[in-house]
Amino acid sequence: MSKKPARFRVVGAACALGLVAALLTGCGSDGGSGDGVAKLTFAASTFGDPGRGPQLTAWLEEFNKSQDKVQVSAAAVPYPTFGQTVLTQMGSGKGPDLVRFDMPEFEAAADAGLIAPLDELVDAGKYDLLKQPDQFMVHDGVRHGIIFEASNYAMFYNADLIPTPPTTYEEFTATAKSLTKGDVFGLAFRQTEAEEAGVWQDIFNYVYGFGGAWSDGKNLTINSPENLKGLQAYKDLYDANVIPRGADAATFRRMFAEGKVGMELNNGGYVTATRGQNPQLNFNVAPIPFPVRKQGAILAPIVINEASPAKDEAATFIKWALEPQNQVKLQEILGASSVATTTQRSAASLEKTPFLTVFDELTDSSLPQIVLGFEAKTPDIRKVVVQNVIAALQGKADLKSALDRAQQQATELVG
Amino acid sequence: MTVLDQTRAPGTTRGPGAPRRRSPLGSRWTPYLFLGPAALFILVFQAVPLVQEVYLSFTRTSLLNPTRSEWVGLDNFNRIFGDPDFRHTLLITLVYVVACVVGAVGAGLVVALLLNRGFRGRGVARALVTIPWAAPGIAVALIATWMLNAQYGIVNRLLDAVGLGVPGGAILDSPRYALPAVLATTIWQLFPFTSVVLLSALQAVPQDLNEAATMDGAGRWASFRAVTWQVIKPTVGLLALLMTIWSLRRFELIWLMTKGGPVGATETLVIDLYSQAFDSKELGSAAAIGMVGVIISLIVITGSRLVARAVEKENVR
Repeated sequence: MSKKPARFRVVGAACALGLVAALLTGCGSDGGSGDGVAKLTFAASTFGDPGRGPQLTAWLEEFNKSQDKVQVSAAAVPYPTFGQTVLTQMGSGKGPDLVRFDMPEFEAAADAGLIAPLDELVDAGKYDLLKQPDQFMVHDGVRHGIIFEASNYAMFYNADLIPTPPTTYEEFTATAKSLTKGDVFGLAFRQTEAEEAGVWQDIFNYVYGFGGAWSDGKNLTINSPENLKGLQAYKDLYDANVIPRGADAATFRRMFAEGKVGMELNNGGYVTATRGQNPQLNFNVAPIPFPVRKQGAILAPIVINEASPAKDEAATFIKWALEPQNQVKLQEILGASSVATTTQRSAASLEKTPFLTVFDELTDSSLPQIVLGFEAKTPDIRKVVVQNVIAALQGKADLKSALDRAQQQATELVG
Repeated sequence: MTVLDQTRAPGTTRGPGAPRRRSPLGSRWTPYLFLGPAALFILVFQAVPLVQEVYLSFTRTSLLNPTRSEWVGLDNFNRIFGDPDFRHTLLITLVYVVACVVGAVGAGLVVALLLNRGFRGRGVARALVTIPWAAPGIAVALIATWMLNAQYGIVNRLLDAVGLGVPGGAILDSPRYALPAVLATTIWQLFPFTSVVLLSALQAVPQDLNEAATMDGAGRWASFRAVTWQVIKPTVGLLALLMTIWSLRRFELIWLMTKGGPVGATETLVIDLYSQAFDSKELGSAAAIGMVGVIISLIVITGSRLVARAVEKENVR
């Protein structure tokens, strides 16, 4: 028998084995390093922000310099796909060690057991945590997260166009109408299905600002009279053509920075971004002038992935972040947002941004944009509500029927 | 001298008593060796996922806990077919696919017929026509979105100028105009491919047949039907099949332009599948929707084969 075919087979088999081995090693993770240093990843969409991202990365570097056994690297995942990307990774038992979540995804992940309970890892009682946002970090007595950023919603207005901000809803609509001329619009908000999460954040202010709520804690109340009133106000403004219809948030925020939008309801996280787009813009901030002083807040907890092999090391980072001097630095980076603990703003930052106190004073009346009692189902309920509200905006149904339909669909969904 | 002898390299002539030397490429295992990688690829990346999808479609599985699934039999299928929104999705998919096939093949045929005629600058025109097909889908979607933007987009400005502007200008946010806008963008991207393929088919049309038809008094249309169409018909059939399958599974263009909205106006099967899997995190329902898509594709392929066979038989007669 010839040796060549045999040699050929051996080479072929070796190549196949090599390929399989390469595939297997390629699929695995490094799981740390051989020098005794635990290498962790911290995923947050804010690492990709043009203004705050580099500063947050520098803040992480301060932690790395202070440690010889733990190193944390930033993983910037874009905001629109953050939840999907990270939750998919975590669902398959992988993913970053530390995650900065938004509330709907935080609730879904906590409910699915993808987040490590923190009670054994971080002694939260040691810190002066802000009570209002912190209460949402605990489920059935188990702590799943620590607030990384809390950002309250307020009314941003162009002070050149609006010398005195409106203080009632009637003044608000009158101001929006009077400012809308040519390519200038009195107001802007999200109103397209492509921005489902953003629409949910925006309509939340109208629902709660008119005394409504998505639930009473036990049952959904999507079609309650108060909700209808608040969403009717939202629809009336849409119908009045005082907003740039079809414009997404990126577009109308640029228009606001260019002086082509008079007002928008936004969270404190956008102060830095607005200044970044136009440092010369003369804008100010006031509470949202709706009948009830209740508005949304972006709560972004930091959590530890249940699948992380280095939970203690991840907790070391959280404890470092909670130290008073590091909280102050974090707050300076985050601008008008709050952090986990009570901190004093510096005189320099108050001089540069006098309206920071407006955001701080809203903390007690701000609520996370979740459905209380149905927290883990918030993304599903959000989809149903937004689709039906947009159907009403587009004239496919009257608002009351749309909310009745949303109530029915969401109730079926949550069982 | 035999043909084999002639092809043998000099100095390699084997005498009657010489041992038989086999080339490594002459082994009976050689075909399997060459087919192996492709078969492995299909097995790993297509067959295994397909089997897994079939299984998933009969389970309740969450994206957040994919290892914990519960067998639910036909529940997912009962649920999606009982949902009026899913039936609407099927209708939108049908409209989208038919319009894409008719639009892309029709526009491609018109352009191919024009490019097949002799005129100055024909080479440049042929090169220019291929640009939309060469552009990445993501770039096409982003450009189209900007052109259709309510505030800054050129499309609404032009429509306004001739008195046809969409109220408010938000074409992609209008349940009435979003699907036509997505279709126009899709066809704009697809027609260069069909036109290039049809152009090569047109060049195979014997000119003497056309000339004979003209001499027999046939007009342009009659000549096209009797000669040109008969030659390019199989190519048109193949293109229609390809366009159908590609349109059934097209995702990025629709997702980037509308995400399936507004109010489901552009929600096709694949968009619905993605929403179920990654928004609702219901892998079981998503797999069931995927199975519906697979079955539709199989029906289309089988149907087209049967039609092709029937046409072939007809031609033989």
